[in-house]
Amino acid sequence: MANDVWSLAEIANGKLTNVSLQLASKAAELAGQLGVSSATVALGTNTAAAATELGAVGAKTVYAADGAVYDDYLVQPHVETLAALVEQHQPAVILFAVSNYGRDVAARLAARFGLGLEYNVSDIAVEGGELALTVPAFDGAQLVKASFVGGGTKLVGARANAFEVNRSGGTAEVVSVAAASAPANGAKLSAPMGAADAGSAGHLAKAADGHDYWQPSASQPKLEEAQIVVSGGRGLGGPAAFAQVEALATALGASVGASRPTVDDGWIPYAYQVGQTGKTVKPAVYIAIGISGAVQHKSGMSSSRLIIAINKDKEAPIFAFSDLGVVGDLNVIVPQLTEKVKQRKGS
Amino acid sequence: MNIVVCMKETPSITAVKRFTSDMRLERRKEDAEMNPFDEYAIEEGLRQQEKHGGQVTVLCMGPATATDNIRKALAMGADRGALVSDPALEGSDAIGTARVLAAALRKLGFDLALFGSAAADSYGGVVPAAVAELLGQPLLSNASRLEIADNAAKIERAAENGYQVAESALPALVSVIQTINIPRYPTMKGIMGSKKKPIDTFTLADLGLDAAQVGVAGAKEKAISASPVDTQRKGEIYNGNDGAAERIVAFLVEQKVL
Repeated sequence: MANDVWSLAEIANGKLTNVSLQLASKAAELAGQLGVSSATVALGTNTAAAATELGAVGAKTVYAADGAVYDDYLVQPHVETLAALVEQHQPAVILFAVSNYGRDVAARLAARFGLGLEYNVSDIAVEGGELALTVPAFDGAQLVKASFVGGGTKLVGARANAFEVNRSGGTAEVVSVAAASAPANGAKLSAPMGAADAGSAGHLAKAADGHDYWQPSASQPKLEEAQIVVSGGRGLGGPAAFAQVEALATALGASVGASRPTVDDGWIPYAYQVGQTGKTVKPAVYIAIGISGAVQHKSGMSSSRLIIAINKDKEAPIFAFSDLGVVGDLNVIVPQLTEKVKQRKGS
Repeated sequence: MNIVVCMKETPSITAVKRFTSDMRLERRKEDAEMNPFDEYAIEEGLRQQEKHGGQVTVLCMGPATATDNIRKALAMGADRGALVSDPALEGSDAIGTARVLAAALRKLGFDLALFGSAAADSYGGVVPAAVAELLGQPLLSNASRLEIADNAAKIERAAENGYQVAESALPALVSVIQTINIPRYPTMKGIMGSKKKPIDTFTLADLGLDAAQVGVAGAKEKAISASPVDTQRKGEIYNGNDGAAERIVAFLVEQKVL
């Protein structure tokens, strides 16, 4: 139907991301406020399972295209299918995740049809029948109210954890769509590499150039979806000390994160970087260990509900935006904290 | 190999950020620096040139004064600059910017077009994919490694539990992330030499673009108002190692997260 509220699900290796559920929930809520219906587009493999999950969080309709082509190429097949659906159904708005996938799909769709595109959106409301967006600006110091100009489908790239998952949905109507054909000139993907590490515990690994880096456990929660994040910074002194960060994270059921300097120095892969040039996180608790709190880092974690910082430098900027700041030696405090958390949890 | 690197001017990270009266980011000449993310793209362009030969052109859309920052790229080693400057471009959104860069890339021609992963003003990171779409090309995005061989570009990019390998034929568009290389500093010789290197300038008309498609006229988004974020935190400070772990546990219990 025209004017519905849509979201784009992200299926990575046959598995729906949690952000997809957040977007589908928000789409259903906005659709209710606007008096229209909600739909989610799911492209990839295993879309039937995804459709069940998406219905449970409120999607009324799931447009599903199942095909290996979506795993074999970067976003072009996804854009072909989504563009055809948009032309046919003319949705009012489509919610995307601000991820490598969501960004590239939304950018192409906007360029192809000349659509409005807002990104890094942290909230969406309906005011006077129109969408009112909230977008953080100036490294998170300001919140901008924004809207769109003119007609056409509006594209909204939303941050992970901007919206809650609401499991009061039901069963979505699944509309099967033919899978796109392989692009004549595409970006062809090889199977994910380094997957041999899946399931392994966090460990020190050797990079191609021979330097050591910390490879966090493959079984930890996804960083941008975690309810607790424990991040390490240059105060750790080296990659081996990430073992302490990881031990605390494991005890708390948390994800491991890192500051940009540790990534720049090759102590931990880029995928774990929190901050402007890495991931934006919004957990219930963020524990910063040996992180000074540069503005680049702050903007990636400052909307966490609670912030705890451990740093030996009492002048560290991070103490200015922490709920609890501990001035002390992380090498003493973190192992003790890990033990106390384990005792408390009775494990 | 004909390599074109897209570069943007952004306000420095320490610059005081303000809105203009029509709610756009105020861009002051004295704060304008090369987008830090684009330094990695320029460095990668120079490294690919060292391996494969050819020419590196730095392409920028910006005010006439952006030649200062183009010269910095030329001082790093790029061969020539291309500046698209036109009063009608002010206030362009990401798609308007992509239209300009796509038209300029068409005009310049390229075997390899390189982009930083985002710009340090809006952190959108959507321009590279939008340019690729307008050119009808694939985009190898967020590369942490780039290899050109057999008339194709091959990248590694981070993925869950490892990395992906993606490949496309030349001409190729590639956006790069900070772990791909360590950008060089210009040498004194490079700085001196940069003064004689050519910078071509283009207007909208030169690129055959309609002013209605770019600038404020073409933008489909509008900022209405802004308010400062209340960053007030509890701000409790605990000094010393003794009892610190106990205090953190007690805090987590008080906050009902443990």
